[in-house]
Amino acid sequence: MVIKVFFPSCCPEAESGLLLGRWIPEQNAAVVLAIIHYPFIPGQVKQYLEQIQSVTTVNVSVLGSWSSHSSRTKDNIDQFLQDLSSIFPHDFWFQLTQEKESRSVFKCHVVQQCDSKNDKENVILIHYDQRKVMLSKLHDVDSKSIECNHNTGEEAEAITSDFAAIFDTVAKCELLFMIDKYDETPIKFTHWQSAGRETSIIVELAKQASVPVCMVLLFLVTFVLNICKSRVLNIWPLHILWSRLTTCVQLAHRLDHLQTIASSTKAQNHTEFMRKANLFVSFLIDVGLGMLLISWLYQQNRIGQLADALIPAADHIAKELEILLEWLMGAPAGLKMNKALDEVLGHFFLYHIHLWISYIHLMSPFIEMILWYVGLSACLGLTVALSIGSDIIALLTFHIYCFYVYGARIYCLKIYGLSSLWRLFRGKKWNVLRQRVDSCSYDLDQLFIGTLLFTVLLFLLPTTALYYLVFTLLRLVVVVIQGFIHLLVDLINSLPLYALGLRLCRPYVLAAGVKFHVFQKVAGKPLHLLMQINPLTYGMIIKRYRLPTYGCYPKDSWAALCKKLFIGRLIYPWKRRNEKQD
Amino acid sequence: MRRAGAAAAAAGGRCRRWKKVLYRAQPFPDNYVDGSFLEELRKNIYVRQYRYWSVVLESSVVIQQLSSVCVFVVIWWYMDQTRLSPQQLFASGLIVYLLGYLLFDIIDLGEGRMHSGRTRWADLKSTVVFVTFTYGFSPVLKTLTESISTDTIYAMSVFMLLGHLIFFDYGANAAIVSSTLSLNMAIFASVCLASRLPSSLHAFATVTLAIQIFALWPMFQKKLKARAPGCYLTVTVVNTLAAVLGLLTASPTAAVLYALLLLTITFLCPHYLVTLQSSKDNIHGPWDEAEIKEDLSRFLG
Repeated sequence: MVIKVFFPSCCPEAESGLLLGRWIPEQNAAVVLAIIHYPFIPGQVKQYLEQIQSVTTVNVSVLGSWSSHSSRTKDNIDQFLQDLSSIFPHDFWFQLTQEKESRSVFKCHVVQQCDSKNDKENVILIHYDQRKVMLSKLHDVDSKSIECNHNTGEEAEAITSDFAAIFDTVAKCELLFMIDKYDETPIKFTHWQSAGRETSIIVELAKQASVPVCMVLLFLVTFVLNICKSRVLNIWPLHILWSRLTTCVQLAHRLDHLQTIASSTKAQNHTEFMRKANLFVSFLIDVGLGMLLISWLYQQNRIGQLADALIPAADHIAKELEILLEWLMGAPAGLKMNKALDEVLGHFFLYHIHLWISYIHLMSPFIEMILWYVGLSACLGLTVALSIGSDIIALLTFHIYCFYVYGARIYCLKIYGLSSLWRLFRGKKWNVLRQRVDSCSYDLDQLFIGTLLFTVLLFLLPTTALYYLVFTLLRLVVVVIQGFIHLLVDLINSLPLYALGLRLCRPYVLAAGVKFHVFQKVAGKPLHLLMQINPLTYGMIIKRYRLPTYGCYPKDSWAALCKKLFIGRLIYPWKRRNEKQD
Repeated sequence: MRRAGAAAAAAGGRCRRWKKVLYRAQPFPDNYVDGSFLEELRKNIYVRQYRYWSVVLESSVVIQQLSSVCVFVVIWWYMDQTRLSPQQLFASGLIVYLLGYLLFDIIDLGEGRMHSGRTRWADLKSTVVFVTFTYGFSPVLKTLTESISTDTIYAMSVFMLLGHLIFFDYGANAAIVSSTLSLNMAIFASVCLASRLPSSLHAFATVTLAIQIFALWPMFQKKLKARAPGCYLTVTVVNTLAAVLGLLTASPTAAVLYALLLLTITFLCPHYLVTLQSSKDNIHGPWDEAEIKEDLSRFLG
């Protein structure tokens, strides 16, 4: 049987005393938390142990004795230790003796209380850094459980790992480590903080100031949210508008975050705390980048230049579209188009462009002022600025969207009519009840009119298909540009910056596991290992602590998208996560 | 095998007769057959005896349809050469249509009309719908194939008319017959051809002619054949002569070829059919699939 003894790395310099810690019988491991020095009163020690047990719910007890090299008194040490083991009854009594030659090699003698077999057991001494183990959080790196955690939305606190119990023990005994040598207590301890508690003034001040700030912020945010949810702003046409504008969605998202950050309940567990911290840091960085953008934009009258460039850009787009339509009305790429239909469609679209350009020109005196005020909203964050950019692009290319919808509807109707009339041509019919094609005997007039219409639709198909193709391509270009901007916004929204910063500065806090170095191997003495914390990789951190966003991901697979394009259904390739299915 | 079986039976000393069952242990091998092998085989029991002249007479159905197609194409060609004006065509078509309508009812003395329950009012409505629809769509039809080359149009028309002839319901009970498809193909071909004519009135006249020739004429002919076969034969001959003469005015070679085709179908094919009957070799026996010949509805419910 192999017994593992976890020994704090600050304790080899300590004076002799009693080992205080927890025995974990399932793993045959003893975790030493502190050393109680002589002199002590056993009654007080027992009382103190009971207090600690009731507060921390950890089964702390006296595990054994520690005799350091410097303060050894040879005489009747064995009898003294024998008496001690009877005062503090324990299954296994560990006697650690430090060697004279090397301070970090000790002999370990185990005395078993229950059955005095006293056979030679193998003992491994593992040195661990108490502060790091107390602050770190062990993560379950099993990828399956991470996925199912994401799906269910709750984090399983019960991590099945051998070392989880040890990390847990040390973390829960924080109260034990509060007593340092400057406190007036009857019992003298040695642990990692016994030289003096460490704290920071800034952190204390921030903690004090955060409470009123949070309350004010929470009040403001709830007020704004109530206004937004009021019925006035949510009547039917406006509701569609708010849900389509990316800016509004992004602002709502950020307000949600602020509400989470400023909530008055403390974070219950590690995951909630990390989430709040990630949101906070991400929000700060976002606002910082937004401020940078503002400072860059408002220098040297760049806003004015932007406004001046906007109208000519819209004009240029319109002119290009007109040239394209003239080309389509001729014989594009040598294709044979039906003249009459061509003319009709071409003039229809040209009139639309004319309307749109007139509207833009009407708005041109106000553009600069509007841009100036809208640019100010970038102080709410870079993501908001990018969303506004995406919305401006959508507004400028609104006519392309309209053309796409017209072309798609006409094409879709035509395809639907053609497929139905083709079935009539062969003498068959679609059976809606059985969802299959059946034969059907039509009347003479149905046959005749159906065939005539089929001929007409068939010969007009190339013209319509060409218009549809051209406008779909244009629309796809705009969608790709918008998708790219959304991707950027999503990236900023979801990156867990606090966790990444933690991994950079304090890698031991997010632990994936432990690794061991062989410390000392001397024949005849127990094996000494040094335990070091293995931090999570950056990839795992991002996967685990990703902030949930309203994310944009492709709704259809490639095959489904191609099929929809072929039939003429309208495509909305990016779906938001909480949008209703259409 | 017979000898081996007999020898085995004689040698075994058991004179049991071989029975065609496998559930009894017999002294014969499993694949043994005795003298009654294949005695239930019958050959050619359903072979029909054709008489030559009856077949020739029946082939008039195919001839009739071929001639209709030919007449249609010839009339279209006349309009294309502006030898015929659309107003003349429409007027003559109208007269023929009214005549046929009256004859249709007189021939079976009104029984068919009572059977199908179709009133004259419904007929009038159908006619009005046809005419208005065609008239309204004729400008669209005229410009439909402007940008497609003439050769493509001709090829498509030929293909469609061939299809019409193949899928037509000549009275045979075959799976390939689909009267809907054949009618639709004919109308498609007529629209293709009509779009090549000079004006939309031409297109209107062509499409109306197509309806009369491909939809109404076969109905009339079927009824005539059922009621007055002699009259039917005369009408077929007149039709064929009209087709050949029309082709003659268009192109003599075509007329000669067409006449040859007609003669082949009328005289050569029936002869071939009759002579080939003697080389039929159908075998029937108890191994054939069962056919349900009776109407089972009297056993149900």
